[in-house]
Amino acid sequence: MLLLELRAFGAAAVREWRQLRRYPTFGLGLLFWPIVLPAMYVLQARGYSGGDQRAIDAFAERSGTNEIAGFLFIGWSMYMWLSIVLWGPGTLLRTEQVRGSLEALFLTPASRIGILFGPAVAHLVPALWMYVVVGIALRFGFGLVVEPAAVLRAAVVILLAVPALYGMGALFATLVLRVGEVVGPIQVVRGVFTVLCGITFPIVILPDLARSAALALPPTYIIADLRAVLLTGADLVDLVPDLAILLGAGVVLCALAAVAFRRAEAYARRGGRLAQY
Amino acid sequence: MDARALTKVFERGRRTWIQRLRREPDHRERFVAVDGIELRVEQGEIFGMLGPNGAGKTTTMRILATLLLPTSGAARVLGIDVREQPREVRRRFGAVLSGERSLYWKLTARENLEYFAALYHLPPRRTRERIESVLDAVKLTDRADDYVERYSMGMRQRLVLARALLPDPPLLLLDEPTVGLDPQAARDMRERVLELRSEGKTVLLTTHYMEEADQLCDRVAIIDHGRIVALDTPTALKRTIQAEEVVRLEIAAEADGVVSRLSENAQVARQERADGLLHLTMHTVSARDFVPRAFDAARAAGATIKHVEVVPVTLEDVFLALTGRALRE
Ligand SMILES: Nc1ncnc2c1ncn2[C@@H]1O[C@H](COP(=O)(O)OP(=O)(O)OP(=O)(O)O)[C@@H](O)[C@H]1O
Ligand SMILES: [Mg+2]
Repeated sequence: MLLLELRAFGAAAVREWRQLRRYPTFGLGLLFWPIVLPAMYVLQARGYSGGDQRAIDAFAERSGTNEIAGFLFIGWSMYMWLSIVLWGPGTLLRTEQVRGSLEALFLTPASRIGILFGPAVAHLVPALWMYVVVGIALRFGFGLVVEPAAVLRAAVVILLAVPALYGMGALFATLVLRVGEVVGPIQVVRGVFTVLCGITFPIVILPDLARSAALALPPTYIIADLRAVLLTGADLVDLVPDLAILLGAGVVLCALAAVAFRRAEAYARRGGRLAQY
Repeated sequence: MDARALTKVFERGRRTWIQRLRREPDHRERFVAVDGIELRVEQGEIFGMLGPNGAGKTTTMRILATLLLPTSGAARVLGIDVREQPREVRRRFGAVLSGERSLYWKLTARENLEYFAALYHLPPRRTRERIESVLDAVKLTDRADDYVERYSMGMRQRLVLARALLPDPPLLLLDEPTVGLDPQAARDMRERVLELRSEGKTVLLTTHYMEEADQLCDRVAIIDHGRIVALDTPTALKRTIQAEEVVRLEIAAEADGVVSRLSENAQVARQERADGLLHLTMHTVSARDFVPRAFDAARAAGATIKHVEVVPVTLEDVFLALTGRALRE
């Protein structure tokens, strides 16, 4: 049974990938923005600091590293990955709803989890491709060398963050079944994350209230921990409290999402909203 | 498959968050789309639901297909309750509900079927063979690797049927399987449906084409305003009207007397004024006897009959007799 569910999940990913692949030019954008956007911030940082050692020291004191380029690239890469896993499932569900295929999916006995998250997995392929490109750009454009062991540790951090992110993603998908259009809420949350989670700056510079809010958001930990392992050579043992918080948040969010999704499905089945938009 | 007192009430309009928070009374208009439907579909039969637009056919179908929760009443598919065990029910039927838009147009037919085969939990070893067999059943084998966006409407509809056949279900739910198809494609589709019955499958379909219901279905439920107004075999339904033939008359006349004179010789099923003419639909035992008398009656009332048409009794007339309205109104 579980095997068949996994196969359904895989099939959803393959289906999405086949559709993505039909537009090969989308990869071009993925080459461009992940480099241009952070590079712009790196240049801005250089412009403001004027290359002055005191400015760099001030940054290092607040952020724990003097690798400004690495700091910004990690922030932005995380932002793009967040976009995929957080709004991905909801947006794709919405696409199915508008296209008219959602009902056909809900007619099958397959688990809704596979239908929901399978397609989002396909989008991890371009994301991985993006990281390779970013890695190369960092290595050759900005001379940042990261050890393979650090990359491995980063992978562990990302893996431990998966439940939290997918839980939030499922909550957005729930919203789709509930209200239909979710562009508005996504814009708001995206804005909050961009400002609070320290994508382009160390969160210590935030006012107290905002910093407390930031510490309540899982992405803050993911970004901080990735910077720690990749830039300051932190060991996973040093990050245990953070990782425990992430994992705990993940369990809570997934449980919440499961309940919310079931209720949203019942709501949609009461009002016939699977086919409406 | 059976339904007991199946009822679905929709709420129209919105209830705002503020109203909810204040716990204000719910002022939304309630609309009864399905009103106490009772039916029982036997194994191996083609059962049709016939009714005008908005009669509640699709709503009934969607409740049986687990997409909608009934407001009250119960329905069981092969003995399993649709409300209690929706997942078990979904394993046991194939459905053509939302039409061609429910396919992935940017994928080929085969890719579409591969995806749904996995969602229907077909074992991997059987998948390929099942896909070939359903493609063959709807005669799409030679176009299987074309993108669906390049298909004609009829081909897409056939692919939707192929998808419903994938799990080899004992029961098929078809909502207007021929709507939007050209006559040839519609005929093909009806032949497919008859083939399904000969394979021992049970088919529940909706339609608002009376010919379709007549030709295809073993039994027909005529539905109006969410209620079953009649349920029987097409032949038995047609026998309920006391007539062998239907005569349609177009009369140019002001005098009302003509109708009462005509009704002495046959039953007036329907009268309507349009384009300055009086359109009458008469039910009669013998048109051969009635038509000459109709001309006499018209002349006596000072009216002229412009057009006469004699047609056999159809389910349309049954609907007319039961509701006083035509199916296509
Ligand atoms: N999700 C919904 N929310 C509110 N009202 C609905 C909903 N779905 C259907 N209705 C209403 O229920 C009534 C019955 O609709 P239904 O689709 O079952 O009719 P139908 O018999 O299939 O008609 P048609 O021949 O046009 O397909 C209609 O008046 C329709 O407006
Ligand atoms: Mg309908």
